[in-house]
Amino acid sequence: MLDANIRKILMQVRDEAADEGIQATLKLHHEKSHLMRIGNNSVSLNTSEDLMRLDMEVTEGRKQGSQTYLGAIKDADTIRGILNAAREKARMASPKTYDPIPDEVETTISEDSQFDLELADIDPSVKSGAYRDIIERLGGQYNFSGSWSSGLMEECLLTTANRNELYHIGTDQLFSVVLKHPQAKWELTDNQTGWRASDISIDKTINTLSKLIPIYEDNDGFKAEPGEYTVIFGASAVAEIIGMAVYTGLSGRSWEEKQSWTTKYSPGEMILGEEISIVDDPTNPETFMFGFDMSGRKRGIFPLVEDGELINFMYDSATAAKYGKNPTGHDIGSSSIVLDTGFGSVDPLEAVKDMGRVLYIPALHYMNIPNRSKGIFTGSSRFNAVLVENGEIISPIFSSRVTDSFQNVLGNVKVISSVSESVNGSNTYGRRNPVAMSVPSYIVSEGVKITDSADSF
Amino acid sequence: MTEANVKKEISANISRISSEGADYVDVRYYLDDSSETLLLYDGDLEANDTTVQSGIGVRVLWEGAWGFAATSDLSGIEACFRKATTNARTASRLVKVPLSMGVGEAVKGSYASPVEVDPFSVNLQDKLAFLTGLDNDLREDFIFKRMVYVNLQRKKIHFQNSEGSEISKDLVNVFGMIMAMALDTDGEMQRRSMSLYSTGDGTTGWEMVTDPELFSGHAARVRSELAELIKAEPLEYGRRSVILLPGQGHLQVHETIGHPLELDRILGYELSYAGGSFVDLDSFGKLRYGSDKLSVSAYGGIANSPGSFGFDDEGTPERDYLLIDRGILVNALTSRAMVNEANEKAGREVFGQSGGAARATSFFRAPIDRMTNVNILPGNDGTEEDIIASTEDGIVVDNPVSWSIGSNREHFHFGCEIAWEVKNGEKTRVLRNPTYQGHTLEFYGSLSAVGDKSTWIVEQVNNCGKGEPNQVMQIGHGVPVVKFDDVITGERK
Repeated sequence: MLDANIRKILMQVRDEAADEGIQATLKLHHEKSHLMRIGNNSVSLNTSEDLMRLDMEVTEGRKQGSQTYLGAIKDADTIRGILNAAREKARMASPKTYDPIPDEVETTISEDSQFDLELADIDPSVKSGAYRDIIERLGGQYNFSGSWSSGLMEECLLTTANRNELYHIGTDQLFSVVLKHPQAKWELTDNQTGWRASDISIDKTINTLSKLIPIYEDNDGFKAEPGEYTVIFGASAVAEIIGMAVYTGLSGRSWEEKQSWTTKYSPGEMILGEEISIVDDPTNPETFMFGFDMSGRKRGIFPLVEDGELINFMYDSATAAKYGKNPTGHDIGSSSIVLDTGFGSVDPLEAVKDMGRVLYIPALHYMNIPNRSKGIFTGSSRFNAVLVENGEIISPIFSSRVTDSFQNVLGNVKVISSVSESVNGSNTYGRRNPVAMSVPSYIVSEGVKITDSADSF
Repeated sequence: MTEANVKKEISANISRISSEGADYVDVRYYLDDSSETLLLYDGDLEANDTTVQSGIGVRVLWEGAWGFAATSDLSGIEACFRKATTNARTASRLVKVPLSMGVGEAVKGSYASPVEVDPFSVNLQDKLAFLTGLDNDLREDFIFKRMVYVNLQRKKIHFQNSEGSEISKDLVNVFGMIMAMALDTDGEMQRRSMSLYSTGDGTTGWEMVTDPELFSGHAARVRSELAELIKAEPLEYGRRSVILLPGQGHLQVHETIGHPLELDRILGYELSYAGGSFVDLDSFGKLRYGSDKLSVSAYGGIANSPGSFGFDDEGTPERDYLLIDRGILVNALTSRAMVNEANEKAGREVFGQSGGAARATSFFRAPIDRMTNVNILPGNDGTEEDIIASTEDGIVVDNPVSWSIGSNREHFHFGCEIAWEVKNGEKTRVLRNPTYQGHTLEFYGSLSAVGDKSTWIVEQVNNCGKGEPNQVMQIGHGVPVVKFDDVITGERK
């Protein structure tokens, strides 16, 4: 964990800068990350990183500059050097045509409600032991791969506007296993997430995969010809669709700049089916909870869509400044998007027993947006996808492409699960910054467009 | 700690870990990894950011298993080595297929990107003045939003391994993009953009940004094409020929030739994230990947590209070789351990040596199999105009809007910024919202024309994502104008 002395030194430099009249934001980010990767039934990589970053942003009137440093940060002179580099960039910057909204830590907050020391210090042999268990119990004749990322992340945010401090420490993990048939090449998966070491259950993974193996072993793949289908989207697919819909449709920037499928709508108008309610809720424990954003604003429950009606757009402070709006606490890398559950049975097969032929697509691979203005997305089925008839699983399905609009898929929802799931959406391209959504374990949509399918899984 | 002392400590630790029983050890010491991003949006300087990072990454192979550790704190070098070793030893307890680096010779060398004007030596105000000039070139009343972007990168890397290799690299990459956006007749946003490219035989400094051919002279074309685009009709669904300009062709190659030919994907090491490949070890030397007009190289001897770096992150010198020879798959993008595993698994020598494609995005990530430059070789079907003239019913498309590819790269769907309709050998009109989709082998099998050298440029990719932990990589693609027949275009009603 961060040495208390580092935080003191950071405050000291913040105070010096404030005394000099510098308008600055100082963000210290520390991560201790571990990842074990599995390939071909072996540990293919076992990696640890211990990294500290300092982001410094300086504003001089309408001019801004920032400097990020990843290296040893141990003394005030190093921090002063980064501050001076950011100052120099701000000094030489061209002025904006609008007044930036100053960052300000509204109140001192210290968060640790999702920190688990056991997970922070997890022994990698626990992970390799778990994978060994899975391989032995499900059968070494299959090809197993996967990854288990875990770590702690600390952030400390200061601004020269006042003496307040924001501090967050949390742990997170994302566990995945892929089982592939070496000849038939079908792939099954199970993923789990959480912030405690105890959140991962190997028995659950084995149970999930055990149920699917005979279906894939005993049946040929079904090729879904292009057309309209009733589709059960599993939690992972739902999270992909909702995440993209929110990103392209509910950010203030997209709407103000007419690059959104919601461009022609205003708050108060219906944009999705009346079963759909979406909220950004940083108090939901199925998400990674951040009570403040990176401009220092407190975050609270923020409704976006209620019963299909557009309620709010999310404004980061730069967009708010540019378009004369109020920032909504969305200078963040980690929102807490929640799609409300419905009244469907726990078992998705039970929910579709009277619906005839249905495709069950638990996850969508490589989703993208060919047309933002129309809200059209495309992605393909991958793991665990099956054909269902009258509530009975008939066969696995070959890789099938869904190309449809948010409005259609989320406007023709027939059933929403009554049970929620946490879906981890974190990536590790840059710094550790966990993000998860809480979504129903499935939704059933009618008239979903399948536009292509392969002859393989 | 001085650079010399860091290197001394690295040497001592490599010796110690090797003597304790490690199969292999390597270290990448990033003396400097700097990146500067400048973004003018509507003329406002929305990004004026510099990132500076340094540290070491240590990779240890122990009884066939990799351990890796990284730290940004150079006072903790020994601890970092110990952590990497402990990680490797833990990993070695679950090994069914032991990894091997084989026997390697010591490589001593250095590489520096060819640079005329160091982008980090140019005064910030001078850079901004130049970019503001570009932004002004994009201004026109009908244009709703404008974007001018550059990203400048420098990496100074010292590599060392337990085989006695020592390599220093000073890599410079320069990326740039201009974009204009406007509302079409339906009130929907259209965009037209242009990204900095190279001709393959120049340098990689700030001079690329100021070169009118490579980057700075395209604003008027972007404006005029956008003006046509916003008045255009949408593309109707149907099968027709598709002519890819390099702005689109490079991504087609990237996604459906480059990624499926990464050997770690073929061997199943990317299944839980990026996906696998429809290619398997039996495919090499046999699989018809495309028509006999398709020849694809790795590296390609390109002087100024983000995929040209002298030595990979295992110390293997960059190699120029064919991946696809006149339609037949012959090689892959490979690293040492993956080559050894593949040959062992196949029971024969599928790959003779590493292709020099082990790359890591930073000191805190371990190398994985990556694209270098993956290039379609120029053909004999003339200029872009010649190819259009030989087309009865088709579209010419440029620049991606979206890309979605099947998990084994067996099928794909692309959306592009702009299409020009081609009827009876002539461009007739601009069409908006173009998309096309296909199945990889069928698609490349329909390759019917490959442009000559006059159509060939090197497009740069700054954001290729892969690996766990995730890594972004910089890549080049030399591509000519190419034509495919009987392709599904547009969306069904």
